[in-house]
This record gives sequence, structure tokens and C-alpha cells, in this order.
Amino acid sequence: MQAYLYLLRLDMEQLARSWLVRIWILLLVGPAGFFVVVAANQRELASETLAAYVAAVLAPLSWLVVAVLSASAVNGEADVIADSILSRSVTRRAYIWSKFTARVGVFLAVYVVVTVPLVYLVLRFAVDDAAIEGIVWGLLTVASLLVFLAAFGIALSAIFRNMLASVLTVLVSTVASGAVFQFLALDWMSTTGVVSGLPETFRGEVSVAEQLRVLVVFGVLSVLATVFGIAWFRRKDL
Amino acid sequence: MKLAPSSLRRSLRAVRDDESTDGGRAQAAGEEAPAVATELAGRRAGPNYVVEAYDLTKIYDNRYIALNALNLRVRKNSVYGLVGPNGAGKSTAFRLMLGLQRPTAGEIRVLGRPMGAESAELRRRIGFLPTAPAFPRHMTPISYLQFVSKIVGLPAERAKIRMTTLLQSVDLTDVASQRIEGFSTGMETRLGIAAALMNDPELLVLDEPTYGLDPPGRRQMIELIRELSGRDRTIIIATHILNDVERVCTDVGVIAQGRLIYDGAMAEMRRLARQNSITVEIEGNVASFERRIPELDEPGSVRWERVGSEVRITFLRANAVTEYLKRLLDLVERSGVELLRLDTGTHEVEEAFLRRLEEDRSRGVLRAPDWAAQEGALEPGAEEADRGGGSRSGAA
Repeated sequence: MQAYLYLLRLDMEQLARSWLVRIWILLLVGPAGFFVVVAANQRELASETLAAYVAAVLAPLSWLVVAVLSASAVNGEADVIADSILSRSVTRRAYIWSKFTARVGVFLAVYVVVTVPLVYLVLRFAVDDAAIEGIVWGLLTVASLLVFLAAFGIALSAIFRNMLASVLTVLVSTVASGAVFQFLALDWMSTTGVVSGLPETFRGEVSVAEQLRVLVVFGVLSVLATVFGIAWFRRKDL
Repeated sequence: MKLAPSSLRRSLRAVRDDESTDGGRAQAAGEEAPAVATELAGRRAGPNYVVEAYDLTKIYDNRYIALNALNLRVRKNSVYGLVGPNGAGKSTAFRLMLGLQRPTAGEIRVLGRPMGAESAELRRRIGFLPTAPAFPRHMTPISYLQFVSKIVGLPAERAKIRMTTLLQSVDLTDVASQRIEGFSTGMETRLGIAAALMNDPELLVLDEPTYGLDPPGRRQMIELIRELSGRDRTIIIATHILNDVERVCTDVGVIAQGRLIYDGAMAEMRRLARQNSITVEIEGNVASFERRIPELDEPGSVRWERVGSEVRITFLRANAVTEYLKRLLDLVERSGVELLRLDTGTHEVEEAFLRRLEEDRSRGVLRAPDWAAQEGALEPGAEEADRGGGSRSGAA
């Protein structure tokens, strides 16, 4: 347990020092301010403003950053893992679990730090047409997408030895899956489908059952990716 | 490189004494689950061996055989040298020993227990120095050793004492707060040694410990290993330089193409390497001396070659080299030649030993142990006899 906690802290510190994370935060915060100012001046609807921010800024940027940081979590330090960490008294489960929790934790922390003030400011300065429960459901839905992307990326980073291969696989497969889901008329499972339905969600016009369906599906997929990643890593030759 | 083995010895002893009072090691020893019974249980030799590998096989991607039914046993408190060329399987054996990889077949037991990926408590008792160790580049020696102490579960106070002691001993105090990314290979090796010793391991596994070191650094590293040996610690060193092993090891195993082709005591290896050949440089009636060379041993068991005043004599029988030396000096006296130089080939130990192994192999003689396949060989004392009594196949 002590090793897990220390590895968790170490990975969080590494992420905090990462320039990619810093740039990501800056690129999220800057446009957020711009959206608030525009919404206040142009008397925009809060639901539309928030949905536009998610669609235009938060989703694409976070997709890229989370994919890169999660898909390089394990294979990015392959030599250090064997030489400095797992050759000592650390179990593989503790190591990979620390990666999952640290990365998901940091991604969610950044997400919350950016979106909660944004929601408050938009509700205060824009035309308030949003429902609180709708905003909560909407933010939870986007969070579930981020968590799934992170879990999927970390699982692939445990499977692939090549970092570039795992990052590209995450990026390509998420884009391709969106197209496939749309083709199969399963829009609600595709990222673009979820994001395009956010204005209604923020206004509270989407039923709880539909929201739960999305959360449960992406929650289950995240758990499956995590379990698979851990199981694979525990049997992997280093 | 400047290592300070004596101060290291003193400080390690102090820390060890301190630890022995609270039974830190005993605690670790008792935490592993009972050993799983396997079909090989009956062949196990018990606690006298720190590492036991039975038919250990590792095949990568169904294509490359890194280890080929390796049978290896390392005695407790010995310094075991695993020698072989690059790609022979030494590092793979170590990775299996540490649970970093899973064997394709066979079994490996370390400190009496099966080693696997999740055997963290077992690894707590092991120190490992990889070849060209990789460190988190943003860390400093201090933060790295703190990191190691945390993951091995060392109490903070003891970790601080140990860290400062080790940093001083491997002469990294001056750069203790500098980032590792600017370090030379030698400095990284020294830091690796310090990290491997943080948990005061019972088993120290060193993969090419002289890698990247200059000649003085190499000498000091060997000296350091000598200082670290004994005192309830077993050391395994992998190297492709037999001379390094010769200077520090008590036992030696030679690995080639994933198999152990020799396993025995260091003294036995020296005997095998040196017994056969003596080179003399003489002056005077060299022809007369040459005519009398067959008298040195039984007919047909002496060969020689002469290049100028230098005669290299090879004895085919396995008598002690001192016996041959006596006869040779007697012959020198009787032949009336002047002895200018005599060489038993000590500086050629590696070449001679490997040549001897190759000759043996070509004659179908295997000098590796087959105790794993012999039920009786694992009786108490059998292994001692095996090591002490020379090769199993003798001079067949």
C-alpha cells in the first residue's frame, strides 16, 4: 500500500510538472474567459454557451492531451519500470493501479477546476436557461468520456511497447468508433453524438434514463479497459 | 570513479547492527505465502541455496531461445559469477530471478520461494543493479534514493541515515542534489549500487557492474564487491569478463547459448584453466631440452610447440600444476639450459578456460551440473562434493 501511495504521488507530481498539462490548462482557461465575456455581452444562452465551449475547446483539446498522456503512461517509462521500480518490492498491480488513479485523478481535477468556475460565471452573466441537474448530468457525461479515454489509453500503454503506436491507436480508434457508432445508429455512444446533444442535456430536456445509459455504458467500458490493462500488465515480460 | 569500500563496510555494518535489533529482515522473511508444492518439490535442495533454477527456459515470441533448460544453484553467502558472452542469457536469467519476466518453462526459486511478478515481499530482500541502469531523469540522487527507500518500505529516519551513508560511500555526495540526467555512465552505475544497497539486501544481483567504468573504477568496483560479500549476503555477478569474476567470486558458472556449460568453484576453474599449459623461455641447448620434454609425463600425454626460445608445453593429464612445475624445473637443470621466463598462464585464464571448455564440449564432455536430473545429487553434502571434487565428468 505504501508503495502504491508513493507511486501515485510520484506520478501526480510528474503530471503537475508536465508542460503538456500546463499548456492544456492554459488553453482551457483562456477560451473559457472569452466565452464568458461573449456570453455576457451578447446575451447568449447559458446552455448553448457551455455546450459550445465543450464542443469547440474542451472536448478536442482534452481528447488530444488525455490520449497522449494516458497512452504513454506505462510504455513511456518502460526502462525505468524494470530497472528502478518493479525490480524492487513493488507489485505490478500497485504500479499499474497507481498509473490509472493518478492519471484519471489529474484529468478529472483539471476538468473540475476549469468547468466549475466556468459554469458559475456563465450562469451568472449569460441568459440562464440551464437546469442545475441538467448541468450536473452533462458534466458527468463529459467526465465519463474523459475517464474512458484515459482508461483506454493507459490499458493500451500497458499493452504496446511503442509509445507512438499506443497514442495513434487511441486517437484513430476513438475517431473511427464515432463514425462506426453513427453508422450503426448508436449516436448516443459516440463522442460527437454526446457532445452535440449537450445543449438539451444542460437544459434538463434529456431523460434521466438516457443519461444513465450513457454513464453506465462508459463506466462499464472504463472498468473493462482498466481490468484488461491490469491483467495484461501483470503477465507482461519487462 | 572513487568508491570507498572501507567506509562503506563500516557504515553498512553500523546500519546492519541497527537493523538487526528490530528484526527488519525477519519480518520480511515471514510475509511470503507458503511455497506452492510443485512436481519439482522433491528435488529441491533447501535453504542452503539462495537461487535455484530448474530447467529454466525462456523463448521470446516463439522464435528466440534466450534460456535453454538452465539449471543453476547459487550457494548461500557465496559470490557467484555468471559468465558468458553478450546474448548468452545472463540478463534474461536475472530478469527471471527478479520476476520481471515469466519463464516459458521450468521454475525459479529465490531465497527458498518461487519468484513471480507479484513477489514484492521477496524482492524486498534483493538488491539489483541492472546494466546501464535507467533512472527517472528529473530526479536527483537524493530524491531517487528517497524514492527507493519509500517503495522498499524503509522507515524515514533509517532511510536518511542509510542514504547519506551510501551517497558518501559511492562518492556522490557532491552531486547529490544535481539532476541525474547530466550524470556519466560511471556515476549512474555508482548510484545504481547505492540504490541496490538501500534495503540492505540478502541477495545482491549485479548485472555487468563494471559496465562503463574506467580501469581504476573497475578495480574499485571489484574491491567494493569483495567488501560487500560475506556477512550473510549472497552476491551474483553477471559479466562477460572472466577476469573480473576471478578476482572476486567464490563460485562460477559459464553460460553460453542459454545453457550452463560450466558450474563449479572458482578454485576448480583456475585449476582447469591453468593445469594444462606451462610456457618457458630458455637459453642454451634448447634442442636437448626439447628432446627430453616427453619425459615430463607418461608417453603420449605431453605436447609442446616451440617458437624461437619459447616453448609452450601442454599436459594432457589432470595432475596438479605444481607437480608438473617440479618436473619441468628438474628437466631445465638436467638439460643445462638457462631459464629466462616461466609462465603458468595466469594472465590467460579466460582464454585458457574457455578453450578448455570448448575442447571438452567437442569431446562430448559436459562440465555443467546435471544435479537437477539426479535424485541422489541433492542429498545433503552432495553439492559440496560436486564443487570441491572437480568436474563431474573429471578428466574423461
